[in-house]
Amino acid sequence: MPLNISQPKRKNAISLTPLIDVVFILLLFFMLTSSFVPWRIVDTPLSVATDAPAAPEERVNVILTLKQNNGQVWVNDEVLSLSDSSVFQTLVSDNGDAVFIIQAEDGVTLQSLMSLADRLKLNGAETVSIANAFAMPEAK
Amino acid sequence: MKIAAKYAARKANDDDNMVPLINVVFLMLVFFMVAGQIRKADPIPVIPPQSINDTRAATDPNIEIVVGADNILYVDDVLFTVEDVQAYLEQAFSSAVNPDAFWVQIKADGDIPLDSLRPIFNQVRLAGLTKVSLATQLEREAK
Repeated sequence: MPLNISQPKRKNAISLTPLIDVVFILLLFFMLTSSFVPWRIVDTPLSVATDAPAAPEERVNVILTLKQNNGQVWVNDEVLSLSDSSVFQTLVSDNGDAVFIIQAEDGVTLQSLMSLADRLKLNGAETVSIANAFAMPEAK
Repeated sequence: MKIAAKYAARKANDDDNMVPLINVVFLMLVFFMVAGQIRKADPIPVIPPQSINDTRAATDPNIEIVVGADNILYVDDVLFTVEDVQAYLEQAFSSAVNPDAFWVQIKADGDIPLDSLRPIFNQVRLAGLTKVSLATQLEREAK
């Protein structure tokens, strides 16, 4: 009589295919909806047009003008190169607590403006104002 | 029987090969779940200017203006012309729950010239709003 000893059979696992299907769908969902852009914000407070004259500004203003996207900026009729860090260091240390106002002519891109603001900040400028670059040119 | 044994062996092997695959897929799944943020996609792809600025928004913007590389303007996911922005902003501001915290975010592409942004800022100013922020992208390594 043959012994009917059944082999300890490998336990029938739940089929993996549906599990993988679901996991793949989840994976696709998260891959497509995720955003990895590190968004940050820069405040550009706008002044409201009022009749009252603006409060007298005690601090010195240094006006920087961007004319083109070539990495050059005009300060007091001088051309400075954005890549030259030492020039900006001198500019900032010479005008310790000045307000650095950035102006831009037509055609200058937003990235150029932000790069200049970054350059000033990196060299220790306390107050950089970019709002002027967005002001409508006064009607002449 | 020989064939059955062979068959069973192969079947087991198939399953064994699946396990590393599933491990990898699970790892990827966990990575995307943890590292990614789920947010509404912008109506048009925008590459914001890079900056070292590291200020995060404390609240969600009340109005989101998206300006694409070819000056296409979307306000709250609706295509707008520049002239209509003021009226929309005024209407949104007057119906705002908390007018003091009302702020506008402008997501503009880094490559668009400033002169095409000026009319938009002008519209916001005409609408009487002062809290405006530009979206930037954190530059990982400072040059």
